[in-house]
Amino acid sequence: MDFQTTRIIYNHCKIVILTLVALLSAVPWNLFAEDSASREYKVKAAFLYNFTLFVEWPTETFPANDSPLTICILGKSPFGDALGSLRGKTVKTRKLAVRQINSVQEMRGCQVLFVSASEKMQLPNILAAVKNLNVLTVSDLDRFAEAGGIINFITLEDKVRFEVNLKAAQQARLKISSQLLKLARDVIE
Amino acid sequence: MKIRCCLTLLIFVATCLPVDGPAWAGDTKNERPRSLTELSIEQLMEIDVPTVYGACKFEQKVTDAPASVSVIAADEIKKYGHRTLADVLRSVRGLYVTYDRNYHFLGVRGLNRPGDYNSRVLLLLDGHRLNDNIYETAAVGTEFPLDVDLIDRIEIIRGPSSSLYGASAFLGVINVITRQGKDMKSAEVAGSAGSQDAYSGRLSYGNKYPNGLEMLISGSLYNSGGARGLYFSEFDTPATNNGLADRADDDKSHSFFSKFAFRDLTLTGAYISREKGIPTGSFGTVFNDNRNRTTDAHGYADLKYDHKLENQAELTGRVYYDNYSYRGDYMYYGANPGDPPVRNKDFSDGEWAGGELMYTGRFLEKHLFTAGTEVRYNFRQGQGTYDESPFLSKLDDRRSSHIYALYLQDEYHLLSNLIFNIGVRYDNYSSFGGTTNPRLALIYKPWEKTILKLLYGDAFRAPNVYEQYYADNGVTAKPNPDLRPEKIRTYELVYEQYLGEHFRSSLSGFYYRIDDLITQQTDTDGLLIYRNVGNIEARGMEVEIEGKWTDGLQGRASYVLQETKDQETGNELTNSPRHLVKLNLSAPLIRKTVFAGAEIQYTSSRKTLAGGDEGGFVTANLTLFSQNLLQGLEFSASVYNLLDRKYGDPGSGEHLQDIIGQDGRAFRLKFVYRF
Repeated sequence: MDFQTTRIIYNHCKIVILTLVALLSAVPWNLFAEDSASREYKVKAAFLYNFTLFVEWPTETFPANDSPLTICILGKSPFGDALGSLRGKTVKTRKLAVRQINSVQEMRGCQVLFVSASEKMQLPNILAAVKNLNVLTVSDLDRFAEAGGIINFITLEDKVRFEVNLKAAQQARLKISSQLLKLARDVIE
Repeated sequence: MKIRCCLTLLIFVATCLPVDGPAWAGDTKNERPRSLTELSIEQLMEIDVPTVYGACKFEQKVTDAPASVSVIAADEIKKYGHRTLADVLRSVRGLYVTYDRNYHFLGVRGLNRPGDYNSRVLLLLDGHRLNDNIYETAAVGTEFPLDVDLIDRIEIIRGPSSSLYGASAFLGVINVITRQGKDMKSAEVAGSAGSQDAYSGRLSYGNKYPNGLEMLISGSLYNSGGARGLYFSEFDTPATNNGLADRADDDKSHSFFSKFAFRDLTLTGAYISREKGIPTGSFGTVFNDNRNRTTDAHGYADLKYDHKLENQAELTGRVYYDNYSYRGDYMYYGANPGDPPVRNKDFSDGEWAGGELMYTGRFLEKHLFTAGTEVRYNFRQGQGTYDESPFLSKLDDRRSSHIYALYLQDEYHLLSNLIFNIGVRYDNYSSFGGTTNPRLALIYKPWEKTILKLLYGDAFRAPNVYEQYYADNGVTAKPNPDLRPEKIRTYELVYEQYLGEHFRSSLSGFYYRIDDLITQQTDTDGLLIYRNVGNIEARGMEVEIEGKWTDGLQGRASYVLQETKDQETGNELTNSPRHLVKLNLSAPLIRKTVFAGAEIQYTSSRKTLAGGDEGGFVTANLTLFSQNLLQGLEFSASVYNLLDRKYGDPGSGEHLQDIIGQDGRAFRLKFVYRF
């Protein structure tokens, strides 16, 4: 860097320093410390639980009357420990279980499948694999519902919303209550 | 200047301090019950989850894009009181806007050539190209067809580094995405009043019906008296009203936008007509004559088809028709002293239609492949100019041309955290022949919240018909049919780091080299002419930090250091600031209802055409924004150029002024009501 440039930078130094001061004073440093689960995913975990209350699975989905309703997280989980709060919950008469899986082959016994963002490139395979199973697929991947997933989380104005692909739900032989559909941002038929 | 600037920053710091307490406190206490799982879906939908990471539905697009991308959301446009697209772009890292009191010109990466009508930035509205086929202008000021209230978000894509974009994507792409009818779900009425007797009004309706039809229709009016008593020292003689342009700066427009979507089809229609008084006496016209004015009108119809295929493949097609017209009235002194002024009518008419087809598919699990083609027929590219009385035609140039392009891009996911993006684009101009340009990008995510991008891109811009053929019989300009295309080669390194959920920072360095840059010059005979003038180098670095917290506190700050140089003369380019600093901060004053938004922008000195120095300036804008004080009502009050700083932008060859003064302090009150 030549002398002139250095001088110009020096001359503007004050501006830059003040910029940084202004910036740093606005930064709540404690927020750098990361929660194990973000607020966003704590909310999404609560949504997952709520979805199970509004969806009816065909009875043959469950091997026994007391089989649990299992939520599976496929791929790198963004939930941290937020799913811990779902353990011990019951959905109608069934206990709620949560399982972490790494490939779609491990999804026997899952009634809800949350597809993590890490699985973006695998999405067509995943959707093809669950197509005729009675599985409620949920994801926050961009255009997930349009691609054939059932529930797509969307963040609008900093709030969590969701879209429902009703056709995909019917194909999976799931009954989604009209109450839930009413709350959806969009229903794809 | 320094003291003023420091003061501004101190005010900025002071305004953000007092709100710290309540803003963070709300996060932990009152709002959250023992367990979120006890809440209903309705209650969950009310919880704010502000984050710059992951939550944004376009995040994957931003991090995987083979370019440095900024996204501005509707919410920010409201909270900072932005009136036009130009206002929004001024707040974006590295961008600067020059206004000659007739049109707005956008500077990117230190390049904003006087006399260039924004032809190096591609402006898209929902993917539809807005640059016209005469000047290739990206209209970002009051002549932009969409009311900013209808914007959902704006994506700013720097550099030519995607092969998906064509001709005008030389320095970058600005894609404006409109709101959706399903999110509006009602009628909206908006109105504003501000300084310079500026008034605006808008009426919109949007909805999605159970049968699947989604619609949005909207109309807007705008009328401003403009700055009164603009003083230009260059005209300070008794014969020219002592340099005072009085009531010659008016600006008015009417615009219409509609969008209908059903299944795979979206039909869009848009129209704007804007009339602007020219207060600067440009092109040697009679100063302070309010008959000097331009009217630009642009309308289009666009039918888009978007079809999902098996295996997540997608087919997108588009056909469109555009019509653009420009009418200019310029008053010239009569041949002899005492003669009445002669009205010169300057006009252009453009009509074009075209189509695009794009296929995106995945194969071998690791490739996201895109192939596309586009074709555009410019069946009318007319320019003319004549004196009204006595009638004298000076130009009647009628042309037509066509362009077609083919492009391929492969996003190859080499590893789960490494993407190699390779693209190539072939453009064929009926006037210049074919050109092939490669674009390459390596995108590496060593850790989940760290993104590194290495980008390379080549692009090409053919001269437009205005640059080549405009002439007016030796009054102001002469043609140059021998103009050659200009070429750019760009290298860029981008480092993005997310810190927790609430911060994003980015650091980038770029090097651009342009060969045969098309530049307006004043020839020895005093006439304006466009020439390929050698080779330009631009280099620089950009830093930015962005934050977003619960309760609506958000902000961003950026600093850009850049240098542009003409290789032959070693001189810095005109209208090219070395330093750009931007600060934006929006803080809640009353939870969820009242927000204060502050903007501070510093532009360092720019060289002018006459070799002078514009001096650099700081502007500050402040907006108070409220929502839901009454159900469905938004209200805002803004002050622009809060410190009433006198500053100017460099003029072009057609101006006698070396520096054109800008507006001082201005106010605006605005409301939006949904019912």
